[in-house]
Amino acid sequence: MADAPKPRVPVKAGYFTVPENPSEPPRLLGTKCLECGEHYFPRRAICARAECLSERTTDVEMGPRGTLYSYTFVHFPLFGSMRVEHVGYGVGQVDLPEGPRVQLPLAGKQEEYRVGMTLEAELEPLREDGGRDVVIVRFRPIGAAS
Amino acid sequence: MKNVAVLGVGMSRFGMWPDKSNADMGREAGMAALKDAGLSFRDVDASFVGHIFAPVMSGVRVMKEFGLTGIPVQRIENASATGSAAFAEACWAVESGRYDAVMVLGFDKMTAMIADSAAATDPANLEDAILPAGFFALWATRRMHERGTKAEHLAAIGAKNFNNGALNPMAQRQSKDKVTVEKVLASRMVAWPLTAMMSCPIGDGAACAIVGRPELARKLNPGRPVVKVTASHLGSEKYARGHLFMGPVVGPAQMTIDGAKSVYDQAGIGPKDLDLVQVHDAFAIEELEYYELLGLCAPGEAEACIERGDFELGGRVAVSSDGGLISRGHPGGPTGLAQLWETTLQLRGEAGARQRKNARTGLCHMMGGGSVCVIHVLQRD
Repeated sequence: MADAPKPRVPVKAGYFTVPENPSEPPRLLGTKCLECGEHYFPRRAICARAECLSERTTDVEMGPRGTLYSYTFVHFPLFGSMRVEHVGYGVGQVDLPEGPRVQLPLAGKQEEYRVGMTLEAELEPLREDGGRDVVIVRFRPIGAAS
Repeated sequence: MKNVAVLGVGMSRFGMWPDKSNADMGREAGMAALKDAGLSFRDVDASFVGHIFAPVMSGVRVMKEFGLTGIPVQRIENASATGSAAFAEACWAVESGRYDAVMVLGFDKMTAMIADSAAATDPANLEDAILPAGFFALWATRRMHERGTKAEHLAAIGAKNFNNGALNPMAQRQSKDKVTVEKVLASRMVAWPLTAMMSCPIGDGAACAIVGRPELARKLNPGRPVVKVTASHLGSEKYARGHLFMGPVVGPAQMTIDGAKSVYDQAGIGPKDLDLVQVHDAFAIEELEYYELLGLCAPGEAEACIERGDFELGGRVAVSSDGGLISRGHPGGPTGLAQLWETTLQLRGEAGARQRKNARTGLCHMMGGGSVCVIHVLQRD
């Protein structure tokens, strides 16, 4: 009998959704200013624009797709990490269609990436905790650069 | 800024010093600065301490090394710009007339910080995924995309800074042989396209600057050139689209452009008047960007300037003349003060083998993660 998929929990609450359906991409949890329309990631209470500073803000879900602004692959492990796959991990800055630029890990290999290409968010299981998968959000290419 | 001079400077060499405490390094740098100024600690009216990785009370506790004279002691933290930010507060305190002589002491043991954080940090924390090296590599990738920058340009900055640092007895990394572009490119990859020799090391150290009234500088050391602080700027970011709210972020470019305009206006100079410049070259791509943001060259010209050697010790304007963060080192709290140490010695004509001929005007630029930008202009009176 095949194992049923484990329930998933975010590594940190309040940054991204964890859809019930595993084939559905996660969305990033942000804020929209109701006064000027600026969007932010992560969530914040007050609009950051010096000209606005409105407290009239609301929670929004953003993405899951965005455009790659820049990327790198880091050749040493995360602080304190014992996981071999964390050597050579990718990091990218991705411009979301709503406006914010987000900086998150990238899946795959350096050769797969080019500035300007479209990426999509996905969830990566990091470890198991009490029968649940602890997941982090990262990006992966979906197609060629425009 | 009209009434502030650097009275004295001192350093404890940057390096990996497991047997030296912050108090040991701070005492060594501070006593060197007092001796350089010709002052006793009794003559110091106040102190600002720059210490990043600080437990409570660490500012006042380290200052006890010099004696307990009852002066005000304040600790300041602003990431990489910690020492520079403390220096700015001291300068404005003197300029306002509040004090005659103020000691600025910076120290840190980054080796101890790394050892502590490895045990405490969740490897999967969203913030920790982006290390500083990775963050600045993103600058490099983008620059390559927009301007056709090559890894060789970044390597040339690394080589220049290593070769300058070889002439600085206080530098952490001192190469016996001349460092070539090829050697920098062949060093270990840290975060593509940045190699280890395009990146600053982890280290420990201390540095001190004493600022005070220019008349005091003349009285204490008659005949020695007086080095005045003619501009001081500290700013944080204005929001702009593309701002990053997570990770060890520095930017956007506008903050350094605004800071540079502010100090040039205060000092009544332009970038063409500069003989030497120190920048936050934690990674070579930063130094490349700051050439343009500080107005040392026009946007898009940095690569051609590097190819011509414009920013070498004997070039148009010497940048990172003491080896910069890449070679002199970057322990944190003292880093900005090491830039002021270098600039003061250069303007007095006391920089030894790396002396820039007839240096009259120097600029010190520091970035602190988060982020902030601190810039000072020093001029020989």
